[in-house]
This record gives sequence, structure tokens and C-alpha cells, in this order.
Amino acid sequence: MKRTPLAIGLLATALVLTACTAPTTESTAATEEQPGYLAVADPSLATGGDLSVQLDYDSVEANGLDPQTATTARSWTLMGLVYDTLVTVGPDFSIEPGLATSWDTPSDTEYVFTLRDDAVFSNGRPMTADDVVGSLQRLLDSKSDWSLQLGQVSSVQATGGNEVTVTLAAPYTSFLGALANTPAAILPMTEIADGSVDITTTMLGTGPYVVQDHVQDQSWTFGPNEHYYGAATRGPESVAVDIVTEENTRLAAIRDGSADYAFFNNVDALDLLGGTENARVVNQQNTDFYYLIINSQNPDSPLADQKVRFAINSALDRQEISDIALAGQALPTGVTPATLPGACPAADLPSEKPTTDEIKQALADAGAEDLDLTITLYNTEPALAQIAQVMQQELAAVGVNLTIENLDIGSFVDKIYSSSPSDIDLALSWYAGYGDAAMVSKWWNGDVSTFTAGFKANDPAQNALQVAAGSEPAGAERDATMVELCASVDESSELVPLVTRPGVIGYRTDSLSPTINTNEGYGSVLRDIVDYRMIDAG
Amino acid sequence: MTGTVAPIPRATAAQAARRGLRRAATTLDPLATVAACVLLAMFAATILARLVGLGGSPTEIVGTRLAAPSLAFPLGTDSLGRSLVPRLLEGIGTTLLLSVIAVAITAVLASTAGIVAGYRGGRVNGTIMRVGDMLYAFPSIILAILVAAVVGPGQVAALASIVLVTVPLMTRLVAVSSRAVADRDFVAAAVISGVSTPRILVRHILRNVAGTIAVQGTYALSIAILVEGGLSFLGYGVQLPGSSLGLLIKEGTTYMVKAPWLIVAPGVVLVIAILCINVIGDSLRDRLEPRETRSLV
Repeated sequence: MKRTPLAIGLLATALVLTACTAPTTESTAATEEQPGYLAVADPSLATGGDLSVQLDYDSVEANGLDPQTATTARSWTLMGLVYDTLVTVGPDFSIEPGLATSWDTPSDTEYVFTLRDDAVFSNGRPMTADDVVGSLQRLLDSKSDWSLQLGQVSSVQATGGNEVTVTLAAPYTSFLGALANTPAAILPMTEIADGSVDITTTMLGTGPYVVQDHVQDQSWTFGPNEHYYGAATRGPESVAVDIVTEENTRLAAIRDGSADYAFFNNVDALDLLGGTENARVVNQQNTDFYYLIINSQNPDSPLADQKVRFAINSALDRQEISDIALAGQALPTGVTPATLPGACPAADLPSEKPTTDEIKQALADAGAEDLDLTITLYNTEPALAQIAQVMQQELAAVGVNLTIENLDIGSFVDKIYSSSPSDIDLALSWYAGYGDAAMVSKWWNGDVSTFTAGFKANDPAQNALQVAAGSEPAGAERDATMVELCASVDESSELVPLVTRPGVIGYRTDSLSPTINTNEGYGSVLRDIVDYRMIDAG
Repeated sequence: MTGTVAPIPRATAAQAARRGLRRAATTLDPLATVAACVLLAMFAATILARLVGLGGSPTEIVGTRLAAPSLAFPLGTDSLGRSLVPRLLEGIGTTLLLSVIAVAITAVLASTAGIVAGYRGGRVNGTIMRVGDMLYAFPSIILAILVAAVVGPGQVAALASIVLVTVPLMTRLVAVSSRAVADRDFVAAAVISGVSTPRILVRHILRNVAGTIAVQGTYALSIAILVEGGLSFLGYGVQLPGSSLGLLIKEGTTYMVKAPWLIVAPGVVLVIAILCINVIGDSLRDRLEPRETRSLV
């Protein structure tokens, strides 16, 4: 009978633990330290020091370390530590100087950039106008995803020692926004041309850091680029990035101070780190957003019927998805990211209007009552499973039975993109929203984004709206076009924007004074790293 | 050998079953009886949950996120605002059912292979044992992940993994016991009498190693629960919105600091289930294999 007390003890401990735990949820809603910034580094602190960062996953690209073909926001973040772009974006998504100190627009199709004269690659060779021309031409020739974002470029020419002129075939409002992301980085074209540098295995840029070590899916070590034009004011001297997939481990690292800075996918990190001594946690809004694929291309599926797809879209409550799956930290959005200027109001989307009874009636009229559908997602983005489970409840209310299929990322990509039509009913994923409201909508333009052909029809009318949104100058007319584009995307219900994708950043206040913008467009969680200051530096 | 062999007493299936039940009832000591009752209560609760909705719907969002235990939600709510009680009941059912089915499959496979290996000996025994050694060479959780990678995450992966993890040990022990039984005189007598091999295996060998199978079955069950829990914890087992003890513990780890009820409840149930099974297994072994020393306490 010696074992009885053990079992009773276990039970008692469990009950006491359970009963005595008071609700400890507290709001740690981030406040801005300055307009547009959740945190601003203390400029009075000395430069230098070693920054320790923990991120949830590593950069993995088919073409290795070539920034021009990089397709993921994580690659842009890490490569952005080494490479610079001609322009960059400010906290309000206005375009700011980068390697170009200024630019003129003699006409709405012509951009004349004046280049920095002190930009030097990390091998000591000064950057030239030929590097800029060669880099942009190489990007255009690559036909990579990002080359599509540059619009229709007629020519790129060096028009002076420190001057480059880009001529477009048609006005394109998003052009500078496209130049502001890492795939448009300026590469060492002389070294690439003579073969002394393989840009797919070696990172050689004009940015603040150089790569000292990289173990795939484990760590990066960045040291200082001694030739960086801003070396005198660069914050941390070195950056150690550890890839830590387990969210709890990153939380623990911020709690115990073994990391200075960490990114979290789970919005509850705001709560889980709340009250931690010497740590601060902030919710960074993103232009990134989650979207739902409703496969219209399988002729044997009821989803081939637009009325059925629209009914499913209408049954989704974006605000509820945000409130339950993302702790209310996300924003409902249409195809123009809700956090960008000029975005269409999600509340006005056509799918927001039908009532539950009308949705049921629409499904019945289409002969699609008691639908059994499968939603496919991948398991490295925990929020997707949360969103899918909320959607499961919402669709059950209109008689749609949803089965969740949670795959590894490789199987997910294979299932969606390897066949046409895609082997899915529904799927969940997210897009980066970039820095201009029309940019991401390019992935809805079937003439441009052929990779969606397996699950989305190429709609000329929708393509025309997308092109118009991209070319019209900012203003009321463009805003109206955005509303029309949002409605068109919403009504076709093939690639349905849901809610924005918030990101949580935690950092140690006893070791780091960072600059963090309130709203990020390119998923760059280390955007202002050169402004960071280590508390104990110097 | 000369002379006549005494006829082997025969029993009808009904008589054998009655004898088995009586033996089982008198085999467990009081503590093991309590453990069996606890397990039965778990089974009953999960069956009631499925049949009459005891505790409510495991997938319905009914309250605020991460609400602490209260009268409305005795074990609190999870990160989607679902009551943990029905989630836990579904999880217990899934874990126990998966484990029981897997162990039943293990028992059939391991008994068949073990008895054949023990009775035939020689190359047959060597071949079966080497196959078992190959499975043994993999750490159990690595083997389980390998299986999940091949057949895809889900209940089938969990089932196949549990079987592959538990089969080698049970096969080896059944083979050793069968070897000892096969050397006994009554088996030799049956052979000489012309009894067919299948009949010898079933009527003479299987019956005499049934105790070993029962004891190992209980241990395999506790291992199965742990493997299922581990697989689901790693994301290869039961998939959302389904529930299992491992999956619930995985969800709970994220909120361990702010909402400990999410990990305490499934964790305690997991511990109790394994404790009960091990106590029953120990008791069975005390009665059926009295020469062995007890492993617990």
C-alpha cells in the first residue's frame, strides 16, 4: 500500500496548483515612444557591443544566398544586414534615401537617382553607378518574383559618375517601394562578372555587416563591415542570430537574459512576457496578412462555382478570427493591407454583407448543402492552425464541414504548387504586404503571378484593376480604384485576404536600447539595427 | 519413449473463458483493483463524453481565451476559448483507445512471432530476433518520427509507431517463455501423439505463455501512451482540432506560466493513467510470474 500516498499526493498537488492559480492575463498593449516607433534607441549610449538575437526560422532559398531571388521575409531580414538598397522606407512608408541620396522624377516614367559617393563593398571596392545599373538589370533579367514588382522598366542607364536613370514603360506608383526591399539590393557586379564572387554562396554588400559564420537552421554570426559608410554610428559591433524554433525557448531566453532580442509568432507572447523584469515586449503591426485559398480550378469541385466560394467567404468573420485566433491583435483586411495608407476598408467588402440565412440559401441554391471540405496548412506557423479552427466553427454554422490537414512546409508547397489544378479544397498561408497598397495585389494579377494558376483563374478585368491601382498616383482616384479592386478580389473569392499578421518582439531593457517601427512592411524585424545601442557598450 | 500418454484434459471454450475471468478477478491485489477502477472510470467518462456529450463539445468556442478554472469551466479554457473538460475527456479517449488498439495489434503480432520463434528455434528464431534487433536499434521516438514521416502525421502514424516500438520487446519475451514451454514434456508428448503444430502452438504454448503476454501487454500499454503523447507533442500524432493527452500537453507548454491549468490537467491524467497501468502490470506479474521480483516499489 506504499503507492497510495504517491497517487494521492500527485492528485492533491495538481488540484492545488489548478485551484490556486488566479487569472493572470494582463494587457501589455504597446505604446509608441515616438510617432511611428514603438521603441527609439537612446543616442547618448555608446556604439559597439555584441547583440544576441533569437529568431524562429532560418532563410532557406532555392538559389542559396542570392538576394535577388530571395522570396521570404526572413531572407530579406538576414540578407538586409549585409546588403543595402537604393532607397528605404520610413515609419509611415514614405520613401527615404538609401544608397541613393536623392532622386528626381522629370516625368512620371523617369527616375534619376544620385548615388552616395562613400558606399563601399565589404571587400574595399567603392560602389559605382555600373554596380547599380548591373544589379537592376540582373534583377530584371532574373524573372524572379521580385522582378515582377519592379513594373515595366524600359531602360536602366548610368547617366553620370554618381547618377543612374531608370525609365519605365508606363507610370508605376509602387516603383520606389519595390526598390526599397532586399531583392533590389545593389550587388558587386564587377566581382560577379569576373567570377571572383559566387553571389549564391557568398554575401558581399555595402551594408553594415559581413557574414562570419552560418550553420543552416542553427545560427548566423555577423561581424562589422569595416568599409560601411555609416561605421562611425553603427550600433552593435557584432550580431549573433540563433535560430530557435521552439517558441517557449525564445520566451525563456528573454526572461533569463540569454538573448537581447527575439521575435515571436504567437501574439500571446505579449501576455506571456508581460511583467518580466528588465524586459519589454511590443506588438509590431505588419502589412503582412493571412489569406485563404479557395481552389476554383478543379472542375469536379463545388468550389468551381463562384457562388459557393463567395458563400464560404461570406461565412468567415474576420474580426472574430482576429479576436479568437490572434488575441485581437490583428486587423481585418482586404487585398490592400489594412495597415497601409490608401487601403480599402475591410468592413465594406461585399462578403461582409450577407446574413447567415442568406449564405445558407446561397449554398442550397447552388446545390452545395452539407459540404465536406479539407483545409490545408503548414505546421511552422502556429497561427494558421488557430485560424483554421476558428474557421471550422464559422463554416459549421452554415453547414460546411471542414477537416484540417496540417502538413510540413515541403508537403504543403508541393500540394499547392506542383499540379494544376492544385490538389486542395482550401488552404491557408500569408503574404508580406510590402510598402505600397498596390504591391501585394500583384499576386492577384494572373498575367504576372503565374504561380497561382493552379487554384485561381486569370481574370482580365481584375488584372486591369490591379494595373490601374499600381499606376495611378496617390489620391482619391487611386483610393477608389483600390476599393474596386478589393471588391473584385472579394467577390471572386479565390484568394481571400483575412487579417493582418501581427508580430511580437521582445527585448531586454537592461542590455539593449533598440529602434522598432510601429508598422513593418517587408517583415524586416531588424530594420533599424544600425541605430540599436547596447547598454553596456563602451 | 514407450507406453501410453495420458490424454490431455480438454475444456470447452466457455469453460476456458469462465476460468480466465475468475483467474483475472482473483489475480489483482487491492491496490491494482483500485488502479483498474480508475482506468475503467476514465474509459467510462470518455465513452459518456462521446455518447451523451458529457462536459460539452470539445471543439466549440464557449468562453474567453485562457480563462482560469471556474464553476462554468472547471478546468479553465484554452487559447481558443474552448472548455478544457471536454477537450480532456476527448484526449483521454483518443490516447487510451489508440494505445489499446495498438497494444492489441502488438500482442497478436508479438505472440505469433514469439511463439513461432520459441517453438521452432534455430534459424526461424534467429531471423525473427534479428528483425526485432533492427527495430531495437532505433531509439523509440526516432522510430516513431520516421514512421510519421513516411505515412504522414495523424492517428495512423501514431498507431503504427506504437506497434513498431512495442513489438520487439514483447516478441523477445514471448519467444523466451515459449522456448521454455516447448522443452517441457507435455509438449514432447503432444508431438509424439501426432498433434498438429498449429494446435500445439495454440493449445499448449500460447496458453502457457499467456501470463507473459498479459504482463507485457500492460507495460506495452504504458509505453504506448507515452509514445502517443510524445508523437502528438512533437506534432506527428493526433492532429487539430482533435485532442489527445500529448497534444493537450503541447498546447499547455506554451501557456505554462500564465495558464498552468492547461498543462496540469492533461499531465496529471497522463501520470495517473500510466501509474495505474504499471500497478496492474506489477500485480499481474506477481501472480502469474511469482519467481520474478517486483519492479515497482
